[in-house]
Amino acid sequence: MADSRSFGTRRAWLAGFLLLLALSVVACSGQNKGATYHFQWDITFRSVFQPNGTIINGLWLTIGISVVAQILGVVLGILAALARMSRIWPLRIISNLYIWFFRGTPLIVQLTFLYCGPLIAHIIVWPTFSVGPFNFTDGAVFAGTLILGVNEGAYMAEIVRAGILAVDPGQTEAAKSLGMRYGQTMSRIVLPQAARVIIPPLGNEYNNMIKNTSLLYVLSVYELYTTFEIYANTTLIYFEYFVACCVWYLLLTTIWGFVQGKIERNFAKGTTTTSGGPSWRERLLGSRRRDRAEEITVLGGH
Amino acid sequence: MSAPKISSDLLGAIGGVPRPDVDVVVDARDVNKWFGRLHVLKDVSVQVKRQETVVIIGPSGSGKTTFIRCINHLEKIQSGRIFVNGHLIGYREVAAAGRMRRPIAKLPIVGRGFGKPAGATKLVEDKEKNIALQRQEIGMVFQRFNLFPHMTALENIIEAPIGVRGMDHDEAVAVGRALLERVGLAAKEKVYPNQLSGGQQQRIAIARALAMKPALMLFDEPTSALDPEMIGEVLEVMKELAREGMTMIVVSHEMGFAREVANRVVMMDDGVVVEEGVPDQMFSAPKQDRTKAFLSKIL
Repeated sequence: MADSRSFGTRRAWLAGFLLLLALSVVACSGQNKGATYHFQWDITFRSVFQPNGTIINGLWLTIGISVVAQILGVVLGILAALARMSRIWPLRIISNLYIWFFRGTPLIVQLTFLYCGPLIAHIIVWPTFSVGPFNFTDGAVFAGTLILGVNEGAYMAEIVRAGILAVDPGQTEAAKSLGMRYGQTMSRIVLPQAARVIIPPLGNEYNNMIKNTSLLYVLSVYELYTTFEIYANTTLIYFEYFVACCVWYLLLTTIWGFVQGKIERNFAKGTTTTSGGPSWRERLLGSRRRDRAEEITVLGGH
Repeated sequence: MSAPKISSDLLGAIGGVPRPDVDVVVDARDVNKWFGRLHVLKDVSVQVKRQETVVIIGPSGSGKTTFIRCINHLEKIQSGRIFVNGHLIGYREVAAAGRMRRPIAKLPIVGRGFGKPAGATKLVEDKEKNIALQRQEIGMVFQRFNLFPHMTALENIIEAPIGVRGMDHDEAVAVGRALLERVGLAAKEKVYPNQLSGGQQQRIAIARALAMKPALMLFDEPTSALDPEMIGEVLEVMKELAREGMTMIVVSHEMGFAREVANRVVMMDDGVVVEEGVPDQMFSAPKQDRTKAFLSKIL
C-alpha cells in the first residue's frame, strides 16, 4: 500500500539522519588531532523543548507563509492549467509564458529580483500589514509569500493539468450531456476526480514549500531558518543551533506527512470497493485485519 | 415548491414527457461529418417522431454512434442540419455575407471545401451556453455508463437537476428516489458506482438522464459493455420507457429488443443510411443486400 510505504520511507530517512548525527557527534567528540570543541547540547535542547518567543515567532511565520503561499499556488495552478488547456489562444500563451518563466529560473533569483527590482525601481511599494501580534513593517513578508505562491503556481499548473487529463473524457461528456456548462463540469465533476491524482504530488509540493520558505532569508524575513541563522552567526554555535533547526523542520514535515495521508484517504472515497482507507493502526501495523481474515478463510478452504 | 407527487410509472416520476407543438422530435437533414479525411457520415437524414423508438443497427464503424453523438452536439458536423424539437442543434444559421468570410478558421461552414456550394446561409457554432441549454432536453446513456464515481447513486441523479435546472434539493431527492425505485435500485441510494454491477450502473445512468426530464433519450450501445446476464435488466427498463411514450433513439446490437420495441429500424453502413423500415419488414424481408448480409451474420 502506497501509504504505508511512504510512511516507512519517512521513518527510514529519520533513522538515517539520526545515525549520521550520532556518527558525527562521535567523530567530533573523539580525541582527534587536538580539535577540541565543547558541545553545548543544552542549547539544542532548549531551542527544541523550551523555545523562546523569537523561535516560536519564526515557526509561526514559516507555517503561515507556507500555507498562504501554497493556497495561492494551488489557485494559480488550477487557473494556469485551465488556461493552458483553453480553446482561447491568448490564454494559452500567457499561461505557457508564466510556467516557462517561473519553472525556468531559480526561486532565489525570483525572490531577490521580484522583491528588490520593482521596489528599487519605484514600480511597487510592497504593502505592510499585521496579523495578530505580528507586525510586518517592511513588506518583505507580503512580497515573499506572493513570490513563493506565484512560483508554486507554475509547478502546480503541470500537476493539475496531469490530474485533469487523467480523468476519463467520458465524464466530461456525461456532464455535458446533462446540460452542464464548462464551469460546473470542471468544479463539480472533473476537478474533484482530478484531485485524487493531484493530492499526492500536492502533498510533496507542500513539503517542499515548508522548506522553501527558508529562502526568504534573502529578504530578511525572520522565519525559522533566519532566526537560527542569526543565533548561530552571532554566537558561532552552529552545530547545536542547526541541529535544533533541523528538528523543527523535521517536525513540521513529519506532521504534514500524517495530515497528507489522512487527506489522501478522504479523497479515495468511491474509488475502492471497501469503504474508507486503512486506519492509523492498520497503517502502522502494515496490514489490514480484514485482508488477513480473508486470507485465513481462503487458506482454510472447504 | 410543493411536495412533488410521485406516480408509479417511470415518466410519471418526472412529471411526464414534455409535449411541445412539434411532432417531429429529431429531424436530421443531410448530415455530413469528417474525422480528418475520413468521411464518417454521408448525407445522413433521419426523422424521429414524438413517442417513437428508433433503433439504429449496422456493423461497427458504420457511423451509428457518431450520428447519435451529433444529435446532442458531442460531435461537430461539417454540413447539414439537425433539429431537435424544431431547434437547430449546436449551430446558428447566419447570413453568408457575400464572399467575406468571418476570419475564424475552424468554423463549420455549410459545404466548405467539400464540393457543395455554400448557400445563402452558413452555420456558425452556437455559444456554449446555448448548447448546454439544448442538451438539457436530450438525455444520453453511454456504453460505458460514465456515472460520476465520486458521487453516490442518488447524488449522480440529483446533480444536474439541482445544478442545471435549479431544482430545490428536497424535490430533487424525491424525484431521484422515485427514479431509483422505478429502475429497481431504491436500496442502492447511498452506494458509490464502483460498488455496483454494470447492469445496476447502467440503470442508474438511465435514471440520471431521465431526472432532467428530457424530450428525447439517446442510447449509445447501452448493453454492449455488460455481462450477458445483466443485459436483460437494462433492456427491461428501456422497454418500459418506450411503452410509456419516451422518444428514443437506440444504437444497439440487441435485435430482440429492436424487434419487440422499435417502431422503426434504421440500418447504417459506411456512414450511409442503407435502409429503414418497421422491424418486421426489416428483419424478415430486408430490401437491401447489405442489410441482408449484416442480418445474416448476427441473427
